[in-house]
Amino acid sequence: MIGSTIIFYMLALLTLISGMLAVSTRQIFRAAVFLLFSLIGVAGLFFWMQYEFIAAVQIVVYVGGITVLIIFSIFLTQQAGEKMPKQKMNRKIFSSLAAFCGFVLIMIQIMQHSFQSTINTAIQPGIENIGNEMVGINKSGYALPLEVVSMLLLAALVGCIVIAAPSNFLKKGEPPTNKLKSETT
Amino acid sequence: MSNTSKKLNNSTVSPSGLGAYFKEVFNAVKSLFVGLRRTGYYFTHHKEIITQQYPDNRETLNLPERFKGEVVMPHNENNEHRCTGCTACELACPNGTIKVITKFDITPDGKKKKAIDKLVYHLELCTMCNLCITACPSDAIVMAQTFEHSVFDRSQLTKILNNPGSKIMEGIE
Amino acid sequence: MWSFSNIADSIHQWLNETFHPSVAVIFEMIIAGICVISLFAVLGLVLVLMERKVSAWIQIRMGPNRVGPKGMFQSVADTMKLLVKEGMTPSGADKFLFNLAPFIALVVAMLLMAPLAFAKNFQMWNVNIGVLYISAISSVSVISILIAGWSSNNKYSLMGAMRSGAQIVSYELSAGLSILSVVVLAGSLNLNTIIQSQADGWWIFKGHIPVIISFIIFIIAVTAETNRAPFDLAEAESELTAGFHTEYSGMKFALFFLAEYVNVFIVCAIGATLFFGGWMPFHIGHWQSFNHVMDFIPSSLWFFGKTFFLIFVIMWFRWTFPRLRIDQLLNLEWKYLLPISLFNILLVTAMAIAGWYF
Repeated sequence: MIGSTIIFYMLALLTLISGMLAVSTRQIFRAAVFLLFSLIGVAGLFFWMQYEFIAAVQIVVYVGGITVLIIFSIFLTQQAGEKMPKQKMNRKIFSSLAAFCGFVLIMIQIMQHSFQSTINTAIQPGIENIGNEMVGINKSGYALPLEVVSMLLLAALVGCIVIAAPSNFLKKGEPPTNKLKSETT
Repeated sequence: MSNTSKKLNNSTVSPSGLGAYFKEVFNAVKSLFVGLRRTGYYFTHHKEIITQQYPDNRETLNLPERFKGEVVMPHNENNEHRCTGCTACELACPNGTIKVITKFDITPDGKKKKAIDKLVYHLELCTMCNLCITACPSDAIVMAQTFEHSVFDRSQLTKILNNPGSKIMEGIE
Repeated sequence: MWSFSNIADSIHQWLNETFHPSVAVIFEMIIAGICVISLFAVLGLVLVLMERKVSAWIQIRMGPNRVGPKGMFQSVADTMKLLVKEGMTPSGADKFLFNLAPFIALVVAMLLMAPLAFAKNFQMWNVNIGVLYISAISSVSVISILIAGWSSNNKYSLMGAMRSGAQIVSYELSAGLSILSVVVLAGSLNLNTIIQSQADGWWIFKGHIPVIISFIIFIIAVTAETNRAPFDLAEAESELTAGFHTEYSGMKFALFFLAEYVNVFIVCAIGATLFFGGWMPFHIGHWQSFNHVMDFIPSSLWFFGKTFFLIFVIMWFRWTFPRLRIDQLLNLEWKYLLPISLFNILLVTAMAIAGWYF
């Protein structure tokens, strides 16, 4: 048990320290990299709890997706290599105060909450159970939220295509492939 | 430009978009396999190696006929060359590789005759363009096939092509 | 009979008898780590030599033939050179990130080794989401390239990193979808279960046309994901000198180089596991006697044989096809591979439901 506790504290330290560095560093690219480590630390915590599926999803979505997106937008931004100006003192104070208040709020909630022990056997966090719950239509199923979220993502995809399409192609109503080819050749 | 390409595209794509798409995919995969078959043939027939194992095969080295290594001036057994000192090679050289230094010989019948004292050749400047050889009216210089030119001192690359004490052949004007 | 699993079991037993169980676990971790690192070293040496020989034979050349018999120790000599070379850090570089990037590349490659089944009952971590784990961790490898490209403070490196990012992010989709087709047929994400499901024939034969299509897409997509020619735009010697590792030298460069080859090994091992049955010998349906004959060949030989065959195929690609342009690369993914693999997975799902496979 002591070994797993040590691993927990190491992961927690990785998450917290890289999270602190992400907000305190003055180079924006370094901030993104530290954010990445913080997210990897969270994924490590999920692995530590043997929720492998959630850990893998954490890595796919946050590390492979969102951080790469952030890094790309940093690359494409002008003057991203320069150091950012030092923050004013009162800003620092207020932001740390806000962080502290949030921390206190969460801690109060956790302290006040009484975790009830149950005699039911724990549901296996296996991928089959997760999949069945995700598209289940019984009381605890998530079929409707899943559909709503996928509609949202579809709308976002269509929106991306509309934004990225050449401006005159929607008006003429030509098939996109012809138009694009004729412009490039 | 855009009009013609549009027409071309319409004529190739529009009749059946999906069919053309799959035809394109099929042709692409087929062409990839053609390439793979070719390289696979080479891979399995690696005995036909074209590499020359150079330092080991110095004796049996087989250079191509038109390989050009350096400019030399052939002499016959009487230490005679064919150069008249006309400086046509010097004029033809694009980067000043050849310098002809002439002198005046006294012929037996008392006449002065122009001849070469030294034909200086800077191998370090030469690009082996062959222009001097084509320019020479008396075929006095040719391209040799030697190629191991590395020396420790740059000054050794400046060569004098005519042998010491050599004379011009009889009957070359 | 001799096998990897017997050796592992006997070591496990011996450690547990001589030491306290928790100490034994620590020793086992250390042994596994040493095994992985030495496998890395051996793979680096063997694959570099193999690449040079394959490329030479394809181009009707001789390849390395000076160091040792038939040039066998050429890569050892190269390694010695890289080890003693000075690892420089450019003065304009972000030193922390510059030195961090090669280690991220290597650690990602090491993490990917964990769920691979090298032989029968011989696996470091039997994780029940093996396939998802691999596709998740391999998406981290792009980070090391992006960090290396940015922190070098060099325009070629940055361009290489950008290209590589665009390439890996987009090809991950079709690689994932082609992997999914086997997952749908096998009904599990666990690599062990997937291998067991191929006991009566490998999926590439059992799943016929749709699985063959997804295998072709898989091999194209992983070639792109490992940044190898014809998709080596991230390095592209003739355009970007060496892309993201232009500024790296000595051991730091060697780590990138090693990570590239280990990644090739890993993706080929996954391809072999999913489509060719991993360590599962060549079995045909219910021909019991034939299957028994095949079982005599050790399972580790089957695994490494299949993996090295796929590595050879990828090397074959590299020395046959010219490099793609970035627009051709993105067209290939978004207009061809992705739609085809999306339709293919529908086809596979229909096939799995209707039972149209052997």
